Amino acid sequence: MLGAWFDYTVNGFVIGNIYALLAVGLALIYGVANLVNFAHGSVYVVGAYVGWAAITYLGTPLPVTLLCVVVVCALVGVGIERLGLRPLHGASRIAPLLATIGIALVLDQVVQLIFSPDPRAVPMQVPDWRITLGGGTIGALDLLIAGIGLTSAAVLYGFLRFTKLGWAVRATAQDSDAAKQMGVDTDRVNLVVFAIASALSGISGVLVGMYYNQINPAMSFEATLKGIVALIIGGLGNVPGAIGGSLILGLTESYGIALFGTSYRNLFAFVLLIAMLVWRPNGLFAARRSLPPEPMTGTFIARSRPLKVPSWAVAVVILLAALLPLLDAPYLLQIGANSLMYAMLALSLTLVAGTVGQVSLGHAALLAIGGYASGLLALDAGWPVAVAIPAAGLITAALGTLLVFPAFRLTGHYVSIATLGIGEIVSLVILNWTGLTRGAIGLGGIPPLEVFGYDLGSVQGTYWLCLVVLVLLALLQVRLLNSHLGRSWRAIRDDSVAARSYGVSGDRYKALAFGYGGFAAGISGAITAHAYSYINHETFGATISILALTMVILGGLGNVVGAVLGATLLIALPEAFRFLAEYRILIYGIVLLLLIRFRPQGLMGTV
Amino acid sequence: MSAPLLRLEAINSFYGPVQVHFDLSLVVEAGQIVCLLGGNASGKSTSMKTVLGLQRPGSGKVWFDGADITGLPTPRIIRSGIGSVPEARRLFGAMTVRENLLMGAYTRSDKPGIAADEDRVLGLFPRLRERLKQRAGTMSGGEQQMLAMARALMGRPKLICMDEPTMGLSPLFVDRVLELIQAINREGVTIFMVEQNASLALGIAHYGYVLQTGRIALEGPAAALLRDPRIRDAYLGGAAA
Ligand SMILES: Nc1ncnc2c1ncn2[C@@H]1O[C@H](COP(=O)(O)OP(=O)(O)OP(=O)(O)O)[C@@H](O)[C@H]1O
Ligand SMILES: [Mg+2]
Repeated sequence: MLGAWFDYTVNGFVIGNIYALLAVGLALIYGVANLVNFAHGSVYVVGAYVGWAAITYLGTPLPVTLLCVVVVCALVGVGIERLGLRPLHGASRIAPLLATIGIALVLDQVVQLIFSPDPRAVPMQVPDWRITLGGGTIGALDLLIAGIGLTSAAVLYGFLRFTKLGWAVRATAQDSDAAKQMGVDTDRVNLVVFAIASALSGISGVLVGMYYNQINPAMSFEATLKGIVALIIGGLGNVPGAIGGSLILGLTESYGIALFGTSYRNLFAFVLLIAMLVWRPNGLFAARRSLPPEPMTGTFIARSRPLKVPSWAVAVVILLAALLPLLDAPYLLQIGANSLMYAMLALSLTLVAGTVGQVSLGHAALLAIGGYASGLLALDAGWPVAVAIPAAGLITAALGTLLVFPAFRLTGHYVSIATLGIGEIVSLVILNWTGLTRGAIGLGGIPPLEVFGYDLGSVQGTYWLCLVVLVLLALLQVRLLNSHLGRSWRAIRDDSVAARSYGVSGDRYKALAFGYGGFAAGISGAITAHAYSYINHETFGATISILALTMVILGGLGNVVGAVLGATLLIALPEAFRFLAEYRILIYGIVLLLLIRFRPQGLMGTV
Repeated sequence: MSAPLLRLEAINSFYGPVQVHFDLSLVVEAGQIVCLLGGNASGKSTSMKTVLGLQRPGSGKVWFDGADITGLPTPRIIRSGIGSVPEARRLFGAMTVRENLLMGAYTRSDKPGIAADEDRVLGLFPRLRERLKQRAGTMSGGEQQMLAMARALMGRPKLICMDEPTMGLSPLFVDRVLELIQAINREGVTIFMVEQNASLALGIAHYGYVLQTGRIALEGPAAALLRDPRIRDAYLGGAAA
């Protein structure tokens, strides 16, 4: 028994070291660039595959493998900074964050195209012996990982403490303007930091590959998330804190698995994340409890003059859309219906992220709640579909608001991290709450769409229903935006300091925004569930959250017409270019990057 | 007369659509202390940022030591021989006093020279010598101001730009800081300083400019400005008497 606990401790410590290699880089980058790098896990995957390729094709011994990984990943890091982020100097502060998301999509997809999505086994490059210690065992690989973790930490400490460039990194992290006035080339410092952080991330990737004996391109997202959790535990930008946070996270996960089983592992990590954000947003090691005000340089969201679309034009478009089923092109209608469902989600997100400025990265969770609520009401409670769908909307509004409520006092980057974490928690709860949700099996046999006896299960029916619901939601949203409520929402976004002086009522306005957003997204999820007849915990994953964000940015943040346009374009266009299907995610990533760089206000302009 | 060390020529500065400087021109002669006076939001700090390359002017030129430095990146400008004591000091609070001093010498690589200058500067600011290992952020406001000046000196600049070096200091410390500025100047370093406290600044300066909503309203030798009734009315009130 004691031996087993010893093993869990060793395992937690080893995993903690792997997280530390990720989190330290995130902390360094946050320090000098004030940016949470969402592409960090993608570099880790690049590292894992470079290591795998070096061993498989070149037969490199371990030190050479590591060297290859370090060099390639450092170059990738330099590329990310130089090509992806530096051109955004002076842009609104959400821009670099979104750019790292775009870069992550591109890198992941490129890795997948080169190496295929199938998992690969990284050949073990250390002897396979284990020593027995007090009933438990430690293997050579455990020692190697711990050794690399400790060595990296020591080298990094020496670099920051005793070299001139290291001082420049610390000085830039504390006050980059002041550092410039000492003659520090802060652009170069940024470049160096990205190179170091990416090299460490890559090493982490190979080591994980050896530890679990398996790598696949999809593991990037989880790596990014875990790095961020460790970063938040240690405190944003706190390098030693990141190491401490990583070890805590590794041990928590390991003991969590020991007590409750593997499927709870990530739940622990994300609950820890939300708890930290709510109670200790500065990290475990900071004396201060309140959040530092985010630097007020520039607005968070780019401002622009929105394009005015005359209402007759909107009416004509709606009429044409309503006549589309007469063409008798079921495939086209299917795409149309899909676009409309996404458009409802985009309406919801454009309000929350654009109008209120709370850039949510977990919006797909609202779809999941709506889908499961409506599906379960219809299946288990026997409610008619026409009642279950609006009820699901209301349930999502309430539940969504309740879940985000603890994060209301957060701003900027913290909101994005919190919503990302909450989104993961929702999907993990769905997976683990087997009694209610059927767990991993998913929800099958969901009754088709019908309204009081009229069967809408056909493609035409689904399409028309979606169109009607979307038009109603859009009209309601436009009304809200033009009311006093809309002005208050924009006030919260434009001046969070002044809005903070609203105190409680600021929270109330945020709650109303998340409530309305939850309602629209919940309806969308519910309709989707009935249209698909089967959903599971992965149907509404993080990719959909990112896709929705891309739609909303494409249309112009806060812009109702823009949201519908963005959704239609991003769903319909890839269908038009079906031969590009393989490159779909790559295209989304590139679209996102180009938009942020050249047209941050989107097609229709931010409102 | 030899060419001035620093010269702003018809500068027009903007923050977005808002214009802050209107054809601002001024000159800082080598070896002098020149002060730029003006009320809040008159554009004093923006002048400093323009010299340091932190704010690019919409039009106009900045000349330093015979070279056009307009639009150069800040690190290049610092390397060409300008030191900065920024508004509100902007020390590296989590670094030690010694590390802050060495950051001041960031552009230099002559180890023996840096060590000698560290000694020289600590001779000028003996209070800092006792606190070399202390974190800069934990020092008193007056000590921090001294460290900011010492840090700027460590780069061996020809010119030091100071933005309100006496801000927030007790009267005793204000006098001390002004004396130190004169001491630095006597060592051959030219000083260009921004101040709100006109009588104090003019007391140590050779020449002064008065900035009003982005335009030079008044200029002259410090002694003449001190006597000028317009400046007494506008800035000094009864305090100058
Ligand atoms: N980064 C900025 N963005 C927009 N406007 C700015 C910025 N910095 C300064 N301003 C504006 O430019 C004007 C001049 O500012 P500046 O800081 O140069 O004044 P100042 O004379 O130094 O004032 P003070 O005595 O209060 O320090 C002010 O109206 C200020 O609001
Ligand atoms: Mg100022």
